[in-house]
Amino acid sequence: MLPPATAHAVSQWTKAGAIVTLHRWLLVIGGLIVASVAVLVMCLQFGATRVEMRAVMEAILTVFHGEHIDADGLGTPGIIMVQIRLPRVLMGFLVGGSLAGIGVTLQALLRNPLADPYVLGVSSGAALGASAAMLLGIGTAFSLVPALPLFGFLGGLLSLVLIYRLAQSQGRLPVHSLLLAGVILNAILTALIMFITSIMDPNRSAGLMAWLMGSLTAPSYPALGVFVLYTVGVLAILMHKAQTLNVLTLGEEIARSLGIETEWVKKQLFLLTALLTGAVVSVSGMIGFVGMVIPHVVRMLIGSDHRLLLPGSALIGGMFLVVSDTIARTLLAPSEIPVGIVTALAGGPFFLYLLLCRKDRMN
Amino acid sequence: MKRRQQGILTGMPFMAHVSSRSFVDDAGRKIYLAKPPTRIISLAPSVTEVLFAIGAGDQVVGVTQFCNYPPEALNKQKIGYANPNLESLVALHPDLVVGPTDFLKPDVVLKLDQLNIPVFALNEKNVEDIFIHIQTLGRMLDRATVANALAMELRQQVTQIKQRTEEFPPVRVLYVLNSEPLITVGPGSYIDQLIVLAGGVNVAAKSGTPYPRLSMEAVLHDNPEVLVFPVGESEGISDSEQQAWRQWTTITAVKQGRLHQISADLLNRPGPRVVRALELLADILHPKTSSHRANQ
Repeated sequence: MLPPATAHAVSQWTKAGAIVTLHRWLLVIGGLIVASVAVLVMCLQFGATRVEMRAVMEAILTVFHGEHIDADGLGTPGIIMVQIRLPRVLMGFLVGGSLAGIGVTLQALLRNPLADPYVLGVSSGAALGASAAMLLGIGTAFSLVPALPLFGFLGGLLSLVLIYRLAQSQGRLPVHSLLLAGVILNAILTALIMFITSIMDPNRSAGLMAWLMGSLTAPSYPALGVFVLYTVGVLAILMHKAQTLNVLTLGEEIARSLGIETEWVKKQLFLLTALLTGAVVSVSGMIGFVGMVIPHVVRMLIGSDHRLLLPGSALIGGMFLVVSDTIARTLLAPSEIPVGIVTALAGGPFFLYLLLCRKDRMN
Repeated sequence: MKRRQQGILTGMPFMAHVSSRSFVDDAGRKIYLAKPPTRIISLAPSVTEVLFAIGAGDQVVGVTQFCNYPPEALNKQKIGYANPNLESLVALHPDLVVGPTDFLKPDVVLKLDQLNIPVFALNEKNVEDIFIHIQTLGRMLDRATVANALAMELRQQVTQIKQRTEEFPPVRVLYVLNSEPLITVGPGSYIDQLIVLAGGVNVAAKSGTPYPRLSMEAVLHDNPEVLVFPVGESEGISDSEQQAWRQWTTITAVKQGRLHQISADLLNRPGPRVVRALELLADILHPKTSSHRANQ
């Protein structure tokens, strides 16, 4: 028998249209996957240079056939498509999807609508690692691995361990301590990053600041492959925990009374989101807005059941970042704009519009 | 794509001044100097080099931590660069502060105004601006003769280098300030003009800003024949970062192995040594014309 408060909450929750049938799930997610492919193919056609659609299709087929790409055989348009535009667009999709997925998870875990991937301080750790690599002028580590992502990821791991140590008490992981530890560590690490930029030569710190602002670059295919496996793997585990997230949003008391080992679950979720954040920040810097706002937009569009919200946010976040980055790449071509500026300027007004519509409906 | 360089050959530039002791800086601020300053603070390595070059090194009392040339500059008091320490600055009792407009913070300028310490801001949009600044500082410090002679000498050298390379077709160049994201120089920066004077054409010429973030697609499309990297202690592109550029095998510069380094201290400083940087740049772009003159 459930306690009355729990029963009330559960009934509230089911009233809110939380019943997701398999049919609806397949329809929504299937539709979003089709839309994602369409967006990716569309964005491949835009860039600082003109590349014919035929070259786009050829490039995609070449990659999927796993053929060896010969520079001279493809010519410059082919190289631009295969080595620059395609990896960058795919990277953008993964980064955007990961940011939105992390945002959804953290908003449920911390029960805070303002939570975003950068709230936990792991991102600042990753950014500090990358800044240190730039300051020391390490371009590559161990000859093949790019140093920036590697140092960034290590910095992220270090701050993850630190936050966890700071936040946990007597084997428990109180949400408010987690949030506080994250915010304070963020402040300290950001100050260290600022210190690094202030002692760097201005000609170099401009490059670091540009990276910190968030920028997508074209990774090599092996690096992209590793990143695909990593991000999709973590997101898949998170999706597997969607039902648990649903229950967590009701509050820990209720979740425990429904038989969920909340402490264990919280630790898992923290670890997963932190690992994903570290990886994303170390390849793309800090791209704002996607992680915090996309989950809210998607909630308004398809409801707040995490079984639908989590994959839906990831797909829509991916699409959103790819489109934003395409604008950033082409608007002032051959110059590029930092993508974070585009995400905020393009997404902000749209979100406010949704908010207004919702207010009208409520009145 | 040839542009006529104005001012390089015409000698004395037009200067707006009300009286011989008033000066207008590049931020449009007017200062009046009753007598030549004797305690000057330089807020940029380029300014320090200019002051020493016109024989006013003894009047310099404060410099930035990046001021490493001439060697005597290392013995001067250091007061920071982008964030100068206002207290140590005031403690030096300067009667003139000279710095770049980009790094002179409004609050620093305001405070110095309140303390009646004259601030003169410099911003070099092209090569001629550098020579004009040499002459302006010369007039300020009562060293007009030396400064004018130096400026004329430098203008002549620029003309010689320009004549050396202009009969050859211009070479496409990319100057890499930062690799990821790619930052380079564009129109409105004096380095962009140096590239043209050295017989090159900047692949970022179409971008609208002095320091654009350039699209890698555009680089591959415009296919530079030479890549130039600034190198140095405090700034510059590391060896491994330069090696990473070799992955772009379709670029002519990579095919022909024309990845070159230039000392950032020479090229990134709008001072008297910029002509030496121009010479090195011309040698890189047109090695056949290299005049095997003894290095000064």
